[in-house]
Amino acid sequence: MKILILLLSFMYSSMAFAQLSVDSASARSIDEVVVTATRTPRLMGNIAIPVTVINSKTVYQYGSLRLNDILGEQTGINVIDNFGKGVQVQGLSSEYTLILIDGEPLIGRTGGVLDLSRITVRNIRKIEIVKGPSSSLYGSEAMGGVINIITDGAGQNKTSAGLRYGRFNTLDGNINFSRKFNNTDVTASFNYNRSEGFSLKPNQIQKTVEPYWKTAQQISVNHQINDKWKVGAGLRRNTTYIDNTIEVSNQGNSILSKGYERNDEYNITPFVQFKGNKIRTTLRGYVTGFEAVQLLNVKGNSDTYNDRFNQVFSRVENQTDWQIREQSSLTLGAGHVDESVASNRYDSMSTKRKNSISYFFVQHEEQLSDKLTLIGGFRFDANRAYASVWSPKIAMQFKASEKLSFNISYGRGFKAPDFRQLYLNFTNLAAGSYSVFGSEVALPELNRLTSLQQIEQVTSMVGLLSALKPETSGGFNLGAKWKVDNQLQITANLFRNDINNMIVTDIVAFKKNGGQIYSYFNLKSALTQGLEFDVDKRISKAFSIKAGYQYLYTADKEVLNGIKKGETFKRDLTTGNSVRMKLADYGGLPQRSKHTANLKLNYENTSGFFATTRMIYRGRWGTFDQDGNGIINRKDEYANSYLQVNASAGFSLKKNLKIMAGLDNILNYKDVIFLPGNPGRMGYIDIQFNF
Amino acid sequence: MKTRSIIGTLLVAVVIFQSCTKEETSAPRVTLIEKIVTDIPADTIVGFSPIGQPIGTGKFTFYSFETNSIVPSSDSNSTKWDIAMRGTTILTNNGTSGPGKGGAFLYVGTFDDLTVVPADSTFKIDAAPSYAITASSNRGWYLYTPPTNLVTPIPGRVLVIKTATGRYAKVEVLNYYKGGTTPPASASDAVKTFSQRYYTFRFTYQADGTTNFK
Repeated sequence: MKILILLLSFMYSSMAFAQLSVDSASARSIDEVVVTATRTPRLMGNIAIPVTVINSKTVYQYGSLRLNDILGEQTGINVIDNFGKGVQVQGLSSEYTLILIDGEPLIGRTGGVLDLSRITVRNIRKIEIVKGPSSSLYGSEAMGGVINIITDGAGQNKTSAGLRYGRFNTLDGNINFSRKFNNTDVTASFNYNRSEGFSLKPNQIQKTVEPYWKTAQQISVNHQINDKWKVGAGLRRNTTYIDNTIEVSNQGNSILSKGYERNDEYNITPFVQFKGNKIRTTLRGYVTGFEAVQLLNVKGNSDTYNDRFNQVFSRVENQTDWQIREQSSLTLGAGHVDESVASNRYDSMSTKRKNSISYFFVQHEEQLSDKLTLIGGFRFDANRAYASVWSPKIAMQFKASEKLSFNISYGRGFKAPDFRQLYLNFTNLAAGSYSVFGSEVALPELNRLTSLQQIEQVTSMVGLLSALKPETSGGFNLGAKWKVDNQLQITANLFRNDINNMIVTDIVAFKKNGGQIYSYFNLKSALTQGLEFDVDKRISKAFSIKAGYQYLYTADKEVLNGIKKGETFKRDLTTGNSVRMKLADYGGLPQRSKHTANLKLNYENTSGFFATTRMIYRGRWGTFDQDGNGIINRKDEYANSYLQVNASAGFSLKKNLKIMAGLDNILNYKDVIFLPGNPGRMGYIDIQFNF
Repeated sequence: MKTRSIIGTLLVAVVIFQSCTKEETSAPRVTLIEKIVTDIPADTIVGFSPIGQPIGTGKFTFYSFETNSIVPSSDSNSTKWDIAMRGTTILTNNGTSGPGKGGAFLYVGTFDDLTVVPADSTFKIDAAPSYAITASSNRGWYLYTPPTNLVTPIPGRVLVIKTATGRYAKVEVLNYYKGGTTPPASASDAVKTFSQRYYTFRFTYQADGTTNFK
């Protein structure tokens, strides 16, 4: 416990200025300090909750540029290309995973997906991944897990610059700067990333991935006033610009349109911290904004398609950690969030939709003996726009021996209804003139359309229209870590998540022109369960192998019931007849692979030469229904499994010059329909210089 | 339009013939008709509306099970037709749709499961814009999938029809596209648009007025 207090006195979850240099070469290290699982610094070997750490060295050697590059190579994590690159953790889709940068949540989702390619990983110290529900500490969205990107720390004098060039004129440049003055740390970084995009379907005007550029800028200043007080602030700004050349189909003719998409994101993070003997308390502010613009000029048409979305999220939060006794610690937190969204998808840009959330959380950690540690906690979120939620979590770690430890945890997670589900007011004139109304605007809109005599008929779903409840989950994890010897470590984790009150759309009315009106309802429940298995073997001082595998089973519970009752059918491909489905026919939720695996070979000698080969296997996954039952069951409803092989190698020329080259997707695997973001083989060279 | 009878028709006839002779009743009469009908156009696309929506002429195609043929629309106000189709809307000859004694309901099960109309069945009547056979995605006989822009008949849905003259039939829609084949998801919108609204369905018609389909 002494070491814990020592650590507490050294660093805090404001990772931006942790003073410990934690850059160990291997994630196996149980001496690594992690912060995301408990919101307090803990040795990785002492945590009752499964945590994975990816350090900056791995990110560099694997040649990763964006967050999706590195996450896609991790066991149990899939990157799904749909409205941007979204993460899938324990079979839960992107909207159920919280992404943090230095402990603060990222906003700006499209269709629930947070695009990982917005985030550069060229200035990071490490990435911590916590799987399983973590709403007891983090609130909404932390259902499948939490991914925390910890940017390069201050406390050192370092200036580095890097340049990379790859296929499709992909250029990435970064400058990272940190200075330590007497009691003041300053860090700054800049990243520029561009590509001319690519086409998977030749002879088409529209590219599969359009040309884009992205920038990321970050600066933070921390000042130690005296041995007890610290203040600081960070500023971050991200911009993404994508060219858009789209063929719009109008009256059967294809019309060329030009335009662009631009996302701007900024955040400001001031804090003040007091650190006493047994108490540490931090007051943090966080303001972040996300602004998305999509403009499209249709040739020969004066109308401009103009889509705007502005989101602002501001939060003030206090967290206090109290070391009660050597074996006992308490974390208390409370905060308030104000959120607002303005979009011409909802109303006009001048109407702001607002929500505010007040919350508090408590976590108690007790070391009962040398072998047994217990953590219990809960969080309460009171919201203006939807029902309040309690999110408890309990976890236990049992160290059977020096080499073998088990952990078990159960937690509740939730995801608040998003602004789209509450306030969307969208009518698509092009495709069947259907409308989608958020739950809060559906009734007024229906009344308005009824008074205009545009409604033909309402459905029985109208009676179910009510304030949306948060989607909730219960998640169970049972893990074991076996350190066979210094060269071999095996970890396994069993998980099960039950998700209730999932929000789906359903038809509330039909318009006289035949269009359908949809709104949102808490109707669906689903489950994901599986096993994750990792082996980490050091063959020699220079050579190591890592292997990982995940088995995943997912299901919509309503579908399971339908099959059990004999009310679900499939259509036989050859005879065209309907056949009653069996449970084994059901392929689960779309976009989920039952089997995923990876094998990574790493070589690194003392003179600074390294080489890596990573093989990532993704088993077949369900795409969309073809036989009318709305679920995945037939062979032709799956995308093909594939193997992606990536390799990289590099060396240090002098002490301050590093050169590397890599080739991603060596086997040149492509799937035009289901992997539109994958251009095939991609080579690159990379130079890093430390001043 | 082309129709083709299937071996099933003969088979059913033979079974009835045999059972009849065994019971030594009077001259056997084939009252059960089983057919597969393909490419019945149902207001196929002729152009586009000012806002670019594909449109047809707006006319229904009327069909008789007894004659196994399309009925001219001049006979729409008669009991000569049993069902009518326009896009994904299917009418039965009753209520707001026609002067007949018709009706319909949706049976969940396989075509072969339905050997007799269950005794406690309620046949619904068309009352436009609400029809005995619900004309909306995933509520009646079909599923529309926005990402693929395709209409697919839901497997395990049998339309149980009371005909214009009060006899019984069962119908399973097998396909909604020309030639009885749904275009691949990757097909162009033009292909999907112009090959849609062609029904392929199989039906069993019981001419003797009983509710038996066996």
